[in-house]
Amino acid sequence: MSPASANPDAGRPPSGAGGGRRHSALARYVAKRLVIAVGLLFGMTLVTFCLTNLVPGDPVAAALGQRAADDPEIVARFRTEYGLDRSLPAQYLAYLGRLIRFDLGTSWQTHHAVAADLAKAVPATMEIAFGAIVGAALIGITFGAWSAYRRGLATDQVLRLVSLIGISLPTFWTAIVCFYVFYYRLGWAPGSGRLTPGVAAPPNVTGMYTVDALLAGEWRTFVDASAHLALPTLVLTLYTIGLLTRFSRTSILEVLDQDYVRAAKAKGLPGRVVFFRYVLRGAAVPVLTVVGLAFGSLLSGTVLVESVFGWPGLGSYAYQAASKLDLLAVMGVGLVVGLVYLCVNLAVDLAYGFIDPRVRVGR
Amino acid sequence: MISTRTSGLRAAAAAGAAALLLSACGGGGEPGGTTSGGAGGQTAKSGATQIVVDTTFDIKTIDPGREYEPTGQILVKALYDTLLTFADDDTTTVVADLASYQSNDDQTEFTFTMAPGRVFSDGSPVTVDDAVFSLKRLQGLKGNPSFLLDGVSVEKVDDQTLKLTTADPSPALPAVLATPSCGIVNSKLVQENGGSTDESDAAEEFLNQTSAGSGPYVLDKLDTASEAVLVKNPNYNGPQTPVYDTVIVRNTEPATQKMNVERGDSQVALGLSGDMVESLADGVEVESVPSATVVFLLINSDPAVSELTSKPEFVKAVKAAIDYDSLIEIAGRGAAQANGLVPSVFLGALEDSEALKYDAAAAQAAAQAAGATGQKLTLSFPNDIDPTGLNLTTLAERIQSQLSAVGIEVDLAPAPFATEIDAYRDGKEQIGLWYWNPDYMDPANYLAFGPGQTVGLRAGWKQGANAAIEELVSRGYTTGDLAERKTVFEEWGKAMNADGPFVPLVQPGSNVVYQPSVTGVYYNPVWLINVAGLGQS
Amino acid sequence: MTRRSPTARLWRAIPPGLRQPLGLAAGLIALAWLVICLIGPAIAPFDPLAQDLPRFSPPGEVSFLGTDELGRDLFSRILAGARVTIGLALVLVCLSMLIGSLLGLLAGFFGRWVDEAIMRFTDLVMAFPTVILAMVTAAALGASLFNAVLAALVVSWPQYARVVRSIVLGLRGNDFVWSGRLLGFSAVRSIRVDILPGTMGPTLVLASLDIGTAALLLSGLSFLGLGARPPTPEWGSMVSAAVSHFDKWWLGVFPGLAILTVVISFNFIGDALRDALDPGVAPR
Repeated sequence: MSPASANPDAGRPPSGAGGGRRHSALARYVAKRLVIAVGLLFGMTLVTFCLTNLVPGDPVAAALGQRAADDPEIVARFRTEYGLDRSLPAQYLAYLGRLIRFDLGTSWQTHHAVAADLAKAVPATMEIAFGAIVGAALIGITFGAWSAYRRGLATDQVLRLVSLIGISLPTFWTAIVCFYVFYYRLGWAPGSGRLTPGVAAPPNVTGMYTVDALLAGEWRTFVDASAHLALPTLVLTLYTIGLLTRFSRTSILEVLDQDYVRAAKAKGLPGRVVFFRYVLRGAAVPVLTVVGLAFGSLLSGTVLVESVFGWPGLGSYAYQAASKLDLLAVMGVGLVVGLVYLCVNLAVDLAYGFIDPRVRVGR
Repeated sequence: MISTRTSGLRAAAAAGAAALLLSACGGGGEPGGTTSGGAGGQTAKSGATQIVVDTTFDIKTIDPGREYEPTGQILVKALYDTLLTFADDDTTTVVADLASYQSNDDQTEFTFTMAPGRVFSDGSPVTVDDAVFSLKRLQGLKGNPSFLLDGVSVEKVDDQTLKLTTADPSPALPAVLATPSCGIVNSKLVQENGGSTDESDAAEEFLNQTSAGSGPYVLDKLDTASEAVLVKNPNYNGPQTPVYDTVIVRNTEPATQKMNVERGDSQVALGLSGDMVESLADGVEVESVPSATVVFLLINSDPAVSELTSKPEFVKAVKAAIDYDSLIEIAGRGAAQANGLVPSVFLGALEDSEALKYDAAAAQAAAQAAGATGQKLTLSFPNDIDPTGLNLTTLAERIQSQLSAVGIEVDLAPAPFATEIDAYRDGKEQIGLWYWNPDYMDPANYLAFGPGQTVGLRAGWKQGANAAIEELVSRGYTTGDLAERKTVFEEWGKAMNADGPFVPLVQPGSNVVYQPSVTGVYYNPVWLINVAGLGQS
Repeated sequence: MTRRSPTARLWRAIPPGLRQPLGLAAGLIALAWLVICLIGPAIAPFDPLAQDLPRFSPPGEVSFLGTDELGRDLFSRILAGARVTIGLALVLVCLSMLIGSLLGLLAGFFGRWVDEAIMRFTDLVMAFPTVILAMVTAAALGASLFNAVLAALVVSWPQYARVVRSIVLGLRGNDFVWSGRLLGFSAVRSIRVDILPGTMGPTLVLASLDIGTAALLLSGLSFLGLGARPPTPEWGSMVSAAVSHFDKWWLGVFPGLAILTVVISFNFIGDALRDALDPGVAPR
């Protein structure tokens, strides 16, 4: 699903006229969004719970060894231990009860707290996703602005084609091709994983190896971690650049047609000044929205990329959990990703109030 | 048993999951788990020797009483000695390690005499109490490997001896005791850290950080996501002669493993498939042998599941429809036809001449006789596990095309292991493509395929379905004399090939790739390789 | 006033975006793939399921694009796979358009709690990461093409719902809708006559842009083993074979290029359609 097609106006905050009123309106708005966000999170746990319980397979057989699963005593113990002997609604309520205490339960597959598992996986994914979103935003917005500025000219055509190719790339395929060319053929990139085997992970602070290595002053580890990051980040960036270029271009073109821009032009301001002072600022809002949405879709894209690069992130964890019927782990992933999505949305919504030019220009 | 040796795409995901094991596993005051300084074994002191072994990790725990995954077996084998063991590449003769044994004529009583002077890594002596504790703990934990000692009672006789008793004759028991899960732990140390011989045991976290055995190596560091570092046990005084001071076992993707061993970044690679080995660079050695994993077809004999597959003629048709040589070609280097359900490395395995043979004309006739007129059957298999590097999907596609050639039409129904295992265990599959890894090194393990036995039931093959085979099964369980045992298992194998609802297909190759400087690379069906046996030329 | 020839009229009917060389190329590629969908198996040099060629033969040796791990002709499989990937993408887009538009219509037209309920549900689905939700669905239902479409459907309808709803909200306030309601027209008639036509254009543009995305999502699910069942020649699952046979580059490269060209050409057409219907952002 293409974030570019999502309605950028959804949930625009009311912008009141007076400062005080605006603040209380904003506060009410934030409160409302938070309530909805919490509701959505509960909804998500319910949906995942139902989906994972639809599965024809019995998670017990998957979690236990084959011989152990033949022993009714072991199976019964397992069911009691994980509360699987209770009815489904009771299981769900028990889950919610633990959730309130921030306990996501224990994974049947890894035998560890889902929260602890996620604490390892999320930073690994964020490391790629942050890099990709920052890179893609810088390049994509520049391309989009440039393309809009040179609307209809050769530059525009070329950039549009490039961005079209970008969004048309099957990420799993790009990942394999990059891995084949840069690792297997040329030997420029290191192999799969987050670090070269044998290089110890830096002391855990953020969970992102590059950051942690810098904090600890382990230069060699930093270089190694960065080298491993390069290819997966590149693949995700390529896809996201296309998305952002297209959307920035559209938004900027829309702003170019706005009255206040025409007025500025009519005032006789040079085109360059109009473009940078009014147009870019006006387009910032929808562009910011799509950067937020693109971040969400990046998290999805990581599933395919992580599986090719052997990246122990959220995507791999989700894939593993889904195929092993690891109910609590799947629900944990759903919660985390939903939370990220909601936070990003909330942040974007709030940012409207600060950079929406209509608030300032319309003064 | 089904152990998971994943490869390719799925291994990537597996690695992801493995990454997450760590933080909780680490226990103790180290939430991140990976804070040991330096760069692993790469910074070994000059003069000291180290060896790097690359494999695809599949570790849940390295508590001997709980572990049951291939990588765990490799590590536990190096950290814990067992009462009995197998030497080097021998897979048929049990030899003494921490104890020697004698059994009564009925094979129901086994008396073990502890080897004198052996000590744990902390210097304390290995006693009968430690052995009793370890075996009772394995039974009492009710974990994945607990079934190994089902129906065995363990008792201490005196300070030198212990006795294992079974109700039925159990000639396979010595082989069972040689599996790493039966490793002897330092009972005092384990008990101090929460260990017990029942389900209240809480020593798993401790054992994932510290080894408590008498093996040639001790655990220096375990990161279930990336690597395990073993160092020589300074107090080891057993029969083995470990060469390398440090052994690093790393979690590496198969493609990367190949590059590493070719470039000399690692000395041994365990995770290469038969296909990858075909295109290796010069300068590395390969130990390619048929693994003890048997890939087979299950044809359900329960008419309620499928009228057609329950007909003996149909089973005959399938057995003759398969071009076994072409399956071996797909399986790649080291693979061999599975002559019977008992793999070639075990006593009682069948000769090549006894293997099932491809005969399209006979298959076609049998298929017609069974009434196969193109009605669609379902061939189910797990698609997220590659036993010993063999892609089951590829194999299933080839089988589908071969069956189609003789008039048997099947739809392929792949599913994740976790989903499919249920239908398999419940005997609901019409035709299934599965595999069996030996739990211990004795052919008795394969009697489970008999009528009314664990795997037999999965094919809807109930008690009373074949009196002759059932007779052989019970003799297989109880015959102690080696020569007689060999004959019984061969008879059983032939009868299964003729009348059983299983079609043994291939034993995929086990391919261990290593630098020429490394010696002592031997494939073992249970613990893959013994790192303490690796030498240097 | 000069009368235009029929050819010229036809030419004018083509969206301007497709009238330049690149656009023409994209249109032709898309057309070619659609033709292959219809007659692919007939023009394939080999039976796409036959396993009688040598395994892993590189391109140019026994066949144009080489053979796969079972000795099947890659070129023939790619031709046969067009039907699977493109056909299902079209089915998926139609279904998500139908479901999404219907919900969007209901939400926009009836407003209040209907709107609130539908849009919160839409938010809920959109908050899930696409691939992960589809993955859980596919894992729950079992791997098959039908289930993959179902799983993809779960995540691809919300965008239609949102777009249609916002259009309906705009239209509902219009005088002609109000007057219709005041004249006592039923809600159904009001939707059919006054609102539905207005939503058609944008929805179709969205759908044309979505075909590429749908093809990517479906082939991605098959790549993960959650879509097409073997031996169906599906491009995504063909690429996944390349993961375990790394040095046989042709296994993955060609099916991937097939996906890429299909997605690019359909996206290009979608772009051109959008530009034609929404001149505000046209490159002029």
